[in-house]
Amino acid sequence: MINYHTVYTTCPYCGTGCGMLLEVMNGRLVGVLPCKTNSINQGKLCIKGWSAHEFVHSPERLKKPLLRKDGRLEEVEWDEALSFIASKLKAITQTHGPDSFAALSSAKCTNEENYLLQKFTRAVIGTNNIDHCARL
Amino acid sequence: MGSLREAIRKALTAGEVAGVVGLILEEGHPRPHLFTKEAIDELERLVVGDVRYPLAGVLLKIHRSDPEARLGIVARGCDERAVLELDRNEQLNGEGVVIFGIACTQEQANACQCAQPYPSSHLFGERAAPVSDSERFDRLESLSKEERFQYWMDQFGKCIKCYGCRNICPMCFCPDCVLEDNDLIKTGNIPPEVPIFHLVRAFHMAERCVDCGLCEEACPAGIPLRTLYKKMRNVVTTQFGFTPGITKEGKGPLQYLGDGEFGKQEGH
Amino acid sequence: MTNSVEELEDAACIMIIGSNTTASHPIVAMHIFRAKEKGAKIIVIDPRKTHIASYADLYLAEKSGTDVAIINGLLHIIIKEGWYDKQFVEERTEGFVELKTLLEEYPPARVAEITGVPEAQLRQAAEMFAKTKQSSIVYCMGITQHTVGVDNVLSLANLSMATGHIGKWASGVNPLRGQNNVQGSTDMAAIPNVLPGYQSLADDAVVSKFEAAWGVTLPRKPGLTLMEIMGAIGTGGIKALYVMGENPAVSDPDIQHVKKALEALELLIVQDIFPTETVALAHVVLPAVSFAERDGTFVTTDRRVQRIRKAIEPIGDTRPGWQIICDVAHAMGAGGFDFASPSEIFAEIASLVPLYAGISYERIAENGIQWPCPTKDAPSTVFLHKDRFSKGLGTFKPVAYKAPAELPDEEYPFILITGRDGFHFHTGSMTRRSKSLTAQINRCYVQIHPLDAKKLKIKAGQMIRLRSRRGAIEVEARITPIVQSGSVFVPFHFAETAANVLTNPALDPVVKIPEYKICAVKLEKAT
Repeated sequence: MINYHTVYTTCPYCGTGCGMLLEVMNGRLVGVLPCKTNSINQGKLCIKGWSAHEFVHSPERLKKPLLRKDGRLEEVEWDEALSFIASKLKAITQTHGPDSFAALSSAKCTNEENYLLQKFTRAVIGTNNIDHCARL
Repeated sequence: MGSLREAIRKALTAGEVAGVVGLILEEGHPRPHLFTKEAIDELERLVVGDVRYPLAGVLLKIHRSDPEARLGIVARGCDERAVLELDRNEQLNGEGVVIFGIACTQEQANACQCAQPYPSSHLFGERAAPVSDSERFDRLESLSKEERFQYWMDQFGKCIKCYGCRNICPMCFCPDCVLEDNDLIKTGNIPPEVPIFHLVRAFHMAERCVDCGLCEEACPAGIPLRTLYKKMRNVVTTQFGFTPGITKEGKGPLQYLGDGEFGKQEGH
Repeated sequence: MTNSVEELEDAACIMIIGSNTTASHPIVAMHIFRAKEKGAKIIVIDPRKTHIASYADLYLAEKSGTDVAIINGLLHIIIKEGWYDKQFVEERTEGFVELKTLLEEYPPARVAEITGVPEAQLRQAAEMFAKTKQSSIVYCMGITQHTVGVDNVLSLANLSMATGHIGKWASGVNPLRGQNNVQGSTDMAAIPNVLPGYQSLADDAVVSKFEAAWGVTLPRKPGLTLMEIMGAIGTGGIKALYVMGENPAVSDPDIQHVKKALEALELLIVQDIFPTETVALAHVVLPAVSFAERDGTFVTTDRRVQRIRKAIEPIGDTRPGWQIICDVAHAMGAGGFDFASPSEIFAEIASLVPLYAGISYERIAENGIQWPCPTKDAPSTVFLHKDRFSKGLGTFKPVAYKAPAELPDEEYPFILITGRDGFHFHTGSMTRRSKSLTAQINRCYVQIHPLDAKKLKIKAGQMIRLRSRRGAIEVEARITPIVQSGSVFVPFHFAETAANVLTNPALDPVVKIPEYKICAVKLEKAT
């Protein structure tokens, strides 16, 4: 049976924050409609907003964790990638101290993700070396 | 509202239609939705109001994904006109589409300056009086040719090239769009080539535009697109005795051009 | 923004400075168009005659990097003519005398010489902005991406305070954020010098609150900014870098240098959705989901905390970013990362950040809430600084004009301005994988003024080599009077011909923003 519904969300591009409806058909994004009742954009979008669904199903999406082995990035399972990170990070920060670590967070990630990455940087590693691309 | 919901519920449960396109209220915002038998309780959140979305366009999208499924639509006058034209252009099998008609209120008809604010039959609301005159249209017609030309050049110059007019239009069903062809109209500029971008679209609308006005509602630059397309509609009506969405039988004048395969090639 | 986006419609005068609004923030431009329709006067100040400039009542074609001089010049006229808001200055500000003293040095004749804007236009702009009841300033990266970025912003604050155009409906200072969550990532303290909610690292009570909540002892020394981090890799201080959803190998100035730095790391962790140029340098890559596959919140340029919602299941073996960070923390054996959903994370944020204390997923289900929102029943703060500034009185900070770090000379005779093309976004990792956008434009270009093109015998469509002291790129020429003679413009979205090969890594001394808007280049025909 066909399924068509929309999901109310916020545009992933600039900081205006237009309200958009993602059109979902049978589990795939098939389009975007501007939310008519959002007070910021009032049923309008720019060309980027109108096409915000297009990159989501791109065949170029990263689909598996990658780990550099013999100079090349190879697909691995999550557990291997995570334990590699944990052991490397521990070794580096134990040898060189917490200030040898830095994190670059993102103005394209959510509040929750930014909050967690700075919490990880400050509370787990123990450094204030965190910044993002707000200036770029 | 009760009889509208009941009619949809009956049609869905009886298997008369596989799904009905209408507006659902979620998180305080009405939005397009396909109501189905499998989630029949959602009908409680079916809404009808001032907010309009291109429901005929949504219907077309679903039809393309499942051409065998018989679909219904909660349709205002403008939605029904769009279904009629999509059918005439061989994009839908209009006789297979079940219309659950709703009549717009007088306030809505006035706000839209709608000449036919109701579908052929309706289950909700009462027929409002048609609003035939368009103040803005008449004002522009009264200007001199030079003034009118300047007015439109200024309006087209505001365009930020969002393609909202095309994207929201239930009648823009072509898979390849001339407005994205760099060989015909230069891409990549804001504003797009003035006035050719908008005039090409206006010509394409000549025998298709059902005067729903969604294009103008979607325009961030506030270009009075509906007035432009109204002019095209009037020309087609006067010259060919054909009004898109209103003339029930026969082909549109441009459909007599070419090898007759025009509509069929597109969309299927 | 001190105001809301929608309020701009009610402004009677809007001064747009350093913002190509219709291309970069089209829906903000919509509200400006509506204001104009209602009779508002539009002033545009920009070295490029942008699309919105052609709809302005007054367009001031300033020389690149002379914003402080222009604003000081406007203030000079406004004060001389007695057009400033005496009551506002008296009741709500301090430091006016010092400002006045400095402004003595900015008479119209001198300002016209520095900026290239005729005196008469300066007078018109000053009168229009000061004497209109509800005036607003809109600015963007054309103001901030300079070695004098902070000075530029302070000048605009001086102008708005002197004219009383702040803290009112439709009247204020309105920076447009370029990315969906610039505001939120700063609110969340993804910056090295504060804790979430702009709470001070130097305040013992604040630090104790976070230490108690997180069960750790926190480092008190402020960290390094992005550009300092890149510098510290070279000198060996930084060994491990975790990059989440960023592409510094394209987005940073002087990227050849940046790439070398990234290659020198012992551990580069990159979390992204696409194989970007930075991913190519990583030791380990964590595949994240896109905005359509996860829940969370973004904060708009007008401080509105809004929801994003999961629409489809994660594609491939990807995970939501928040979950990945929790997984890394767990792998490290750390506590405090046991969250089942983003709403739980948000609840922790609200418990620690007073600006967000009254906000919850339930409250923002339908519409966003604009911070500050200190309590569960507090309404949205539609505009800031009503009746008082957060620190009490507003302080005038007199700033003197300083020239950009690298100006044209005989060898490199052109000013290069970099910026956004209306059809693409940042390093293009999303927009260049979107067919509607690549159909518009998918290769880099350089805008050259017709006079310069004629002089150098350059034709439209010809390939041009742009060279700066840091490197060279080859791009297609577009001949257009949008740019001034002596200036060229290149968009920065195209990694294969990255504008940031050319840009100057000179930084604003306070906030360390690079001077993307001005560096010196020369033009050669590519053969």
